[in-house]
Amino acid sequence: MHTVKMKNPKILIFACKWCGLIGADAAGKKRISLPSQFRVIPVECASLVEPDAVLRALAGGIDGIAVLGCHIGGCRYNNANHTAIKRMELLKDLLDTTGIGRSRLLLSFGTAHEDYQFEEIIKSFFDEVSLLTPLDPWLSSFGVIS
Amino acid sequence: MANISVFLCKCLGEIDHIIDFGLLREELSKNSSVALISTVDSLCLETDIEKTISLIKETDADKVLIAACSILSRGNLVVDCLVKAGVERHKIALVDIREGCAWIHGDNPEDASKKAKDLINMGIAALQHKEMSDDMSVAVNPSALIIGAGPAGLAAAISVAEMGYEVSILERSKTPGGMLKLISRCYPDNEDASNKLDPYIREIENNPLITFYPQSKITSIEGDTGNFTVHFSSQEKDSSIQSGVIIIATGAKIFFPTGLYGYGEIKNVITQMEFERQILNESLETKKTVFIQCVGARDRKRPYCSTICCPISLKNASRIAEDVPGASVFILHRGIMTPGNTLEKYYRDALASGVQFIRFEEEQPPRIIGSDHVEFVEVYDAITGITRKIETDLVVLSTPLIPNNDNARLAQMLGIEVDRYGFFSEVYPMHPLETKTDGIFICGSARWPVSSDHSIIQGKAAAMKAVSYLKQSKIAASTLSRVPGPKAGHACVNVDACTGCGNCVAVCPFDACQLEKLEGRYVSTVNLMKCKACGNCVPLCPNGSIQIPEHNYRMVGGMIQRAF
Repeated sequence: MHTVKMKNPKILIFACKWCGLIGADAAGKKRISLPSQFRVIPVECASLVEPDAVLRALAGGIDGIAVLGCHIGGCRYNNANHTAIKRMELLKDLLDTTGIGRSRLLLSFGTAHEDYQFEEIIKSFFDEVSLLTPLDPWLSSFGVIS
Repeated sequence: MANISVFLCKCLGEIDHIIDFGLLREELSKNSSVALISTVDSLCLETDIEKTISLIKETDADKVLIAACSILSRGNLVVDCLVKAGVERHKIALVDIREGCAWIHGDNPEDASKKAKDLINMGIAALQHKEMSDDMSVAVNPSALIIGAGPAGLAAAISVAEMGYEVSILERSKTPGGMLKLISRCYPDNEDASNKLDPYIREIENNPLITFYPQSKITSIEGDTGNFTVHFSSQEKDSSIQSGVIIIATGAKIFFPTGLYGYGEIKNVITQMEFERQILNESLETKKTVFIQCVGARDRKRPYCSTICCPISLKNASRIAEDVPGASVFILHRGIMTPGNTLEKYYRDALASGVQFIRFEEEQPPRIIGSDHVEFVEVYDAITGITRKIETDLVVLSTPLIPNNDNARLAQMLGIEVDRYGFFSEVYPMHPLETKTDGIFICGSARWPVSSDHSIIQGKAAAMKAVSYLKQSKIAASTLSRVPGPKAGHACVNVDACTGCGNCVAVCPFDACQLEKLEGRYVSTVNLMKCKACGNCVPLCPNGSIQIPEHNYRMVGGMIQRAF
């Protein structure tokens, strides 16, 4: 297997409406130019994001997933994000164990609510994911339906 | 089945000069779920929203997709208008093609148009799977219960009564007044504490809407927002009260510094409260006084500042300096805390009346010298570097307010939380007087150490918040949201699939899930009054039985499939 740098990685972002989406909106209001290959699914709280959804996205050909939530102590739902962080970190470990790699899951809890922060996170995530081997050929060689 | 009407908003050129609406219309016309495609100039303008609503009403399609700006900008208003016009909320999807598309990909219209097409497809997938949550309404008992009759509780009770609602006050001691009964004067205007308290006490005696229960101890609490039942015993009798809201104004207690600075061992080392008591029963005799600040506060065990001890020392030190001829008064401190517009002057007046201030550091506290009664205080002045030996006949220790022993028990009965120090927790970030359970409020020193002025202000504010519940004859669970607007929905359990594992019960941040017996097995049930639809329970369910209908796994799966 040789490494192929992905030209246009596809990224899915789960953004909580109270921190992550505010950063995304702020970037929009500032007309900050961003790469276009990402889609945002807004959620009430990052704790709503199921690990299943992340895996389904990866199996469906999406190259990287980002989960944006609020900072520790800043969740409007009584620290529901604390459980979300633990859950997502465990998912990162599992992604490593299965060979998919933890760098495909980006977690930002409280670091994406300003416009320049959102911009930085998106751009660096795109850079990071584009250096990874595309999952598609790897998955299909193992017989995983994608 | 063609059941979706799609409205594309041009946003007066902001969106459609980047995104190719022709491409969108072409794609949408190939989609068999789309019944109607309409382009509008600016959906948030009245004329356009009216046109949109009439179009929706004319067509058979019952679902609406709006492709416009972000839900955090004007998108919310558009959705609210549609809901008001009769479209059900779960049948509306808002797709952000402005902040999330046109405005960030302005330099690449081709990709932006493709992204807009994908986002709209995601919205259509969402609409096909979004379902409606249950809701419930409860009738609100139009009366309030105040626990605690200190200044905070009294102010709260009077405010609620002023707005025309019945109030009951439960107080554990024999008379109302709280800690204000134990002090002689209040800072910063040096008003007599009893003068301050009297009008409140007279009001609760005379006002027919207010009932005062002295010597009460709460035994149990039942019920939920809008309908609490509090069982208590008062003067050997057991009773109960129903109320729509509860305001906690139980105050705090003084920390007794046993073992610090010779308290309890050396005579004439007393606390501020004992100083006040000596003033009240006219047994205070001192000419050389030393006040020591931060005793048992702002240290490793209690890192907080108790707010009131510096002004109290200024008050009492000034009193001695002014009233006792030839007095020598020192305040040994680690920083005098006097915020606001009146306390700075209070400090300068104390300085002018001859009170001397010496700053010490936490690592080198003052030393009490004396065998059976205090004779000297030795302190290392951190600013000049000189160790001073001050002759004194009385040492007054400023100790912090600490939580009542009963707080944890009361919190558990009410289903609310206490913070790491034991004071009642507020809801972060923007509900300073509210607790985890809607309809239960906190004010005064029960929440955090404050002066009587601020207790009164907080009591009045809590009363205002409480009345906003009481004035509704019915409360819908969907309005008990912690965020602007109604809740996103409520968690819903598929009782056929639920295995009764209890994961959701353990993890719910609002204690909304409970296991109940159903036909011989345990299943989870959701208390709609408590559930805030954060979704924390959803990923933890081993088989997906608990879902938020407006954001269920089919919807997410559908959106992921259509994302690119």
